[in-house]
Amino acid sequence: MKNLNSQPALPVTGRRYWRSLDELADTPEFKEWLHREFPQGASELEDGSSRRHFLKIMSASFALAGVAVMGSGCRRPEEKLVPYGQQPENYTFGTAEYFATAMPTRTGAVPLVAKSYEGRPIKVEGNALFPNGNGGTDRFAQASVLDLYDVDRARRFTSAGNKVARADALAFLDTLAQKFAANQGEGLALLAESSTSPSRARLQKIIAGKYPKAQWFTYDAVDSGIHQRAATQAFGQPVKPVFNFDQAAIIVSLDADFLGGEDDLHNHIRKFAASRKPGPNMNRLYAVESLFTLTGAGADHRLRVAAGAVAGIASGILNLLVQDSAGTSLSSMKATAELDRWMLTCAKDLAANRGKVLVVAGQRQPLEVHLLAHAINTALDSIGTTVTLISAPESAGLDAKSFAAATPDTLVILGGNPVYNLNWSPKQKPATVVRLGYYEDETAEKSDWNFPATHFLESWGDATTSDGTLVPVQPLIQPLFDGLTELEFLARLAGETQTNPCDIVRATVGLGEEAWKKFLFNGFLAATPVTLSSPKLVQTFSQLKQLAAGVTKPAPTAGSLEVVFYRDAKADDGRYANNGWLQELPEPVTKMTWDNAVLVSRKTAQDLGVANGDIVEITLNGRTVSGPIWTQPGMADYSLGLALGYGRDKAGRVGTGVGFNAYKIFNGSYVEAGATLKKTGGTYVLACTQHHWSMEGRPAVRESNLEQFAKDFDYDKGYSEPPPPVVQSLYPNPLDAAKKTALHQWGMTIDLNACVGCGTCVMACQSENNIPIVGKDQVKRGREMHWLRIDRYFTADPVKRKPADAYQTDENQQFAEWIDDVQAVNQPMLCQMCETAPCESVCPVNATVHDQEGLNVMAYNRCIGTRYCSNNCPYKVRRFNYLDFNKRPLTELKGTMYSTTLTHKTDGQWDLIRWWNDPNSGMRTEDEWDLIKLSKNPDVTVRMRGVMEKCTYCTQRIEHAKIAQKAKAGASDNVRLSEAAGTVPKTACQQACPAGAIVFGDVSDPTSQVSVLKQGLRNYSVLEELLTKPRTTYLARIRNPNPDMPDYRNWPYSHDEYEKFSGETTEPAPKGNS
Amino acid sequence: MSESLEHLKSLAAPAELRRAPVVEGNRGLGWLTDKLSVFAEGKIPRWWWILFLPAAFAATVIFPTCLFYQVFTGVGVWGNNHPVMWGLDIVNFIWWVGVAHAGTLISALLFLTKQHWRTTIGRMAEAMTVFSVMMAGLYPAIHVGRAWFDWFMFPVPNSNGLWPQFRSPLMWDVFAVNTYLVVSSLFFFMGMIPDFAVLRDRATTRLRKGIFSFLAMGWTGSARQWHHYEKAYVVLCGLCTLLVFTVSSIVGLDFCTAQIAGWHATIFPLYFVIGAVFCGFGMVLVILIPLRKWCGLEQVITLSHIDKVAKLALVSGLIIDYIYLMEFFIAWYSGDQYERWVFGHRLFGHTYMVLGWILIGINVCVTQLLWFKKVRANLAWLFIIGVLINIGMWTERFVIVVGSLYQEFLPANWGKYMPTMWDIGLYIGTLGAFFMLYLLFVKFLPMIAISEVKGVMPEADPHHPLGGANKEGGHE
Repeated sequence: MKNLNSQPALPVTGRRYWRSLDELADTPEFKEWLHREFPQGASELEDGSSRRHFLKIMSASFALAGVAVMGSGCRRPEEKLVPYGQQPENYTFGTAEYFATAMPTRTGAVPLVAKSYEGRPIKVEGNALFPNGNGGTDRFAQASVLDLYDVDRARRFTSAGNKVARADALAFLDTLAQKFAANQGEGLALLAESSTSPSRARLQKIIAGKYPKAQWFTYDAVDSGIHQRAATQAFGQPVKPVFNFDQAAIIVSLDADFLGGEDDLHNHIRKFAASRKPGPNMNRLYAVESLFTLTGAGADHRLRVAAGAVAGIASGILNLLVQDSAGTSLSSMKATAELDRWMLTCAKDLAANRGKVLVVAGQRQPLEVHLLAHAINTALDSIGTTVTLISAPESAGLDAKSFAAATPDTLVILGGNPVYNLNWSPKQKPATVVRLGYYEDETAEKSDWNFPATHFLESWGDATTSDGTLVPVQPLIQPLFDGLTELEFLARLAGETQTNPCDIVRATVGLGEEAWKKFLFNGFLAATPVTLSSPKLVQTFSQLKQLAAGVTKPAPTAGSLEVVFYRDAKADDGRYANNGWLQELPEPVTKMTWDNAVLVSRKTAQDLGVANGDIVEITLNGRTVSGPIWTQPGMADYSLGLALGYGRDKAGRVGTGVGFNAYKIFNGSYVEAGATLKKTGGTYVLACTQHHWSMEGRPAVRESNLEQFAKDFDYDKGYSEPPPPVVQSLYPNPLDAAKKTALHQWGMTIDLNACVGCGTCVMACQSENNIPIVGKDQVKRGREMHWLRIDRYFTADPVKRKPADAYQTDENQQFAEWIDDVQAVNQPMLCQMCETAPCESVCPVNATVHDQEGLNVMAYNRCIGTRYCSNNCPYKVRRFNYLDFNKRPLTELKGTMYSTTLTHKTDGQWDLIRWWNDPNSGMRTEDEWDLIKLSKNPDVTVRMRGVMEKCTYCTQRIEHAKIAQKAKAGASDNVRLSEAAGTVPKTACQQACPAGAIVFGDVSDPTSQVSVLKQGLRNYSVLEELLTKPRTTYLARIRNPNPDMPDYRNWPYSHDEYEKFSGETTEPAPKGNS
Repeated sequence: MSESLEHLKSLAAPAELRRAPVVEGNRGLGWLTDKLSVFAEGKIPRWWWILFLPAAFAATVIFPTCLFYQVFTGVGVWGNNHPVMWGLDIVNFIWWVGVAHAGTLISALLFLTKQHWRTTIGRMAEAMTVFSVMMAGLYPAIHVGRAWFDWFMFPVPNSNGLWPQFRSPLMWDVFAVNTYLVVSSLFFFMGMIPDFAVLRDRATTRLRKGIFSFLAMGWTGSARQWHHYEKAYVVLCGLCTLLVFTVSSIVGLDFCTAQIAGWHATIFPLYFVIGAVFCGFGMVLVILIPLRKWCGLEQVITLSHIDKVAKLALVSGLIIDYIYLMEFFIAWYSGDQYERWVFGHRLFGHTYMVLGWILIGINVCVTQLLWFKKVRANLAWLFIIGVLINIGMWTERFVIVVGSLYQEFLPANWGKYMPTMWDIGLYIGTLGAFFMLYLLFVKFLPMIAISEVKGVMPEADPHHPLGGANKEGGHE
């Protein structure tokens, strides 16, 4: 048949997208088509799609019904396939396609490559081509795919709460545009979150030009723009700082959680890991902080102080350095008080590493602390090396404070959720509130008009990364629910003729056809941002000292507590509250899921008479909020840590009612003093994935100090028990014979020195492997499904531990004194792929077996769920699907009674009857079901209940690579994957890891990276005394403490703890340093 | 006649050395037949209904409810969780297997060792075995995630060439428990054949006659039948005795082949056999003491029999105590930090220390009361001790299963286990089913082996003055 419509409507990228499968499947045309044996030509399809396009969609949607149906791995899937009448050119069904795009963040963007199957994006990876990147991402980017398929996202245009047609809604925008064009924008106000999109900035200018009287407010509930504002103020020019942790020898974090909570996380972690390699150039990290953060966990020296005291410490260090340069040598100075010694030694270390120091202040800290940090960096000639200042336009627009005073007639809210996170309650309600939002949330409730926003994977757009590179945001799929991008919305509001977001971006970027294509292909525009070379500080040292004195707060007390509001590692400022993957991701430090809590130190809890789970009422500036207490090791005394982003009233089925809303007492300042705390008498159960804090002296994580390591000390022998003698087994392992003939032997190393514990790998694994979420109640019961988890242990001076501590329940460790000053270690734990796997020999049905390439594989179809394998797994990395988590309705995430197919109804029909008619139907409603089908990775089985599952080393990726290599090899026998040829696949966790801590490869190839790493001194197996011979090994962690510091120890705490526990001593270790 | 009797009496051993008669009261065989059949033939007494109704409720309402809810919803309705993948499901499995064991031991092993007193309580113990093996067998079948695929565990020839994994102790379990169920049921049934014939012959209604004729399988009591019967009985006894040791050993192997500290010990097969026997004797006490009174069997199940059961319970209890001692000693002596941790926490770890001390309190301390003859003669005490032994042994299984899993190698995985109402409901359901079946057995089947008891009566001895050789029929 002839293609009647050979000119596709959207030829922009050479690829076309459809909006929604439902839409297509429900059209009368399609229904008619279904009922005819042969479609009567393509003339009926006059919507601009080609016939070929149409067929492609049809086959894809039917393939989805067949391939990605839930539970299909365990039952025979019902297959409905419409084969191609004519194979489309250059397209192979079932082969993933990759497109470069980017995820915009507040102050930058994460350059991405999205993986798409039959037109639906299912996974994002970092853009490895990006010049300043390694293909790593952050957890938000990894989890963002789930948001695209969120059942609860805004799916309709509404006016006064009623659904309106898209055309009507757009017409309303046109009337607004006409109205304001006539009155110059009188009474118009726009409230937007910050963005790095040049196109938006251009539209903002256009609006300012057309509607000069309109007001534009920019606000962020969690404000990361302070870095730019501080640099601009410090150096008197519009610049923003880029922190080059990879260039720094000494890093001082002034309450900056750059490894956990700051924006641009993936870059910080990558750069930090780069200079953290054990050796003469290993960096040293000093952290001054009140909360225990991932940065504190990664620090060599951590000073536990209230957040209000950070300014004083920064100014103290600056003062010492100024005195030094003024002639009083630091080495001649003496300090007696512990804090003074800390500052003096730190200052000495800084001064000794002139040009290679990086002092960074946290987003939580006031501007003055940032100025001090810049001053120290400048004083030590580090601007230009460790801190690059790139010129950045100052954000035009007013801030949230002026917004509170504004009284517009028409308010347009672009994204953001001011009702929730700005405590905005329209006192003098504007006549009209128009909202573009991703959810029908708290703000949508108070808005007159609601426009559904698009996900970034559905949008055309652009963004600027933190280092100033322009990146495109290109859609992978047509908007599923007809949403609008911010650009289109603004263009329409501005009355522009050009409203297609793609055209807007092209007009902004202004590239020729070929350059534009290359831009989209690469996913970035190589350009050198203008850097500021010889910066001059605007403020003098004495001015800075005064400023610091102004913001240094007196030490908090039990009666006047300090409150630290922080960006949550999972919900961010609340925008990801409805993302189940993020809700269930254990918080990297507390390991808490589905909640936030009032973090306190042990001493604070003791003085206030509260314990974990007690609900307390916090009063600050006359406002109160209630939440449960959580004792956090390493917290500063009398400091309360409150995570923002929880307690949503209207987030969706997942996020509503999760945690408590700290915004209720938040007024824009992240550190506040003078709070009081009262016990309400209620208690609350928190769902934590790791209850036990101490490693109990077991050598799970091995650590050493650089100094010891540098002595070429035989680390493994010294630290662990003596290596077991090689016992020749009576029964030779049959797999050893297979080793000789198998093409590959897979293995992995995880560098504990690089890993900061950010959790990106967990999200990547969840996204890649179709891992379901289970809900708070199930997490509480220890049934979370993560194949890859991050174990976090706190270690402390063993002298402080009492013998009785070992026998206490996990609930009682919160009262133990040892948790006051702790070190923390993170250890990603996944299937260790033991060569002599204990799980395999106990399975009665051969469901878990070994393959020739060293993988411990699971046959889900064969598994009956005796769970003995998990019992016998010393690493406990197998997860059991206790309640058909893929089919459980979202509404049951929070319940404790589980509905069964016997009693539950879905869409008005008994589930048992639905099951009888179609065994693959679940207990989810159709709308949930359809989106879930779209979101799954078709390469990975969706497991049903009663089946054990675990990490597979991403076996689907290995198989893909092997098949591709075999296809390429043709008649030759060159079927072996090799790292040199770049054909060895990456596991999902490896690819996502911004630190590059995870290395996977062929251990039978002596030149592969993983083989080389396994030869290293730091390589060890966890629980190797059990002779499980794991293929996943770890590289020991090395700390780099300063021998002159008051808290210096020869060995890390964990080593001392091990010695105490095992009774073995390696070397007399002087404790502390006087 | 009387002269010779006096003469014989003078030859007899002094009273204190004489064995207690198996049946007291110096009754004749006819009386015995009446006595032992009458309960199965008579009206249903009130106490039977009082016990039966709640048991039947548990068996027919609670049991299926919990079972179906679990199978339709998932193992998640139970308290099993991530480190503790096995909970009450396996605890109860071992406990029921244990209860099963004393029955076979009394019946078979004591038969082989020619202990005459076993005849009066053997049948009741065998019934206990059969019904508790049924309960035990149920747990592994339904505790799995996908119970409808249980047949994967059987070596069914199939076109895929897929076989069970013969290295797995769970596989051995399947064979062991099924063999045990089959053999003990056969043993139970075969032992009853002569007694079915008695009930058949005494039957007054056609229905009874019909049923018992069918069950008696044409038993006439001919010498040839007795000859075959007794040979078969010896063979089955031999098999059963072997099974007592193998089944529990294999259940023990379920644990000791694993490498979890607290499970990985070579003492486990013995440990589980003796534990099972100990627990079973406890259950025998619990069942016998009330039944002998309510069924009027004091002269058949005498205090001397109870005393012997109690002595056996003491012996097995002492072996258990020794094993406890060894377990703790080896944990300390091995120097293995994980072993030490687990055993230290059994007694001092705050999560489950109460259970650890219940275990010690009952299985070590309470058992010692059985040294005293006064206690062994006091039925109320013995009944309480029997109940306590069962609780203690249940606790022991909980401590072994959960206590070893909740804190093992990597502290990051540690957790806790708390059973839910569905775990407990299912346990109550199996208890109900067990007691319902048992009460039906007591009421409608010969609960005491009539022919066997007669066989060990003095009159049955051909050389007895009142024996069959001297007095025809041996009747008074």
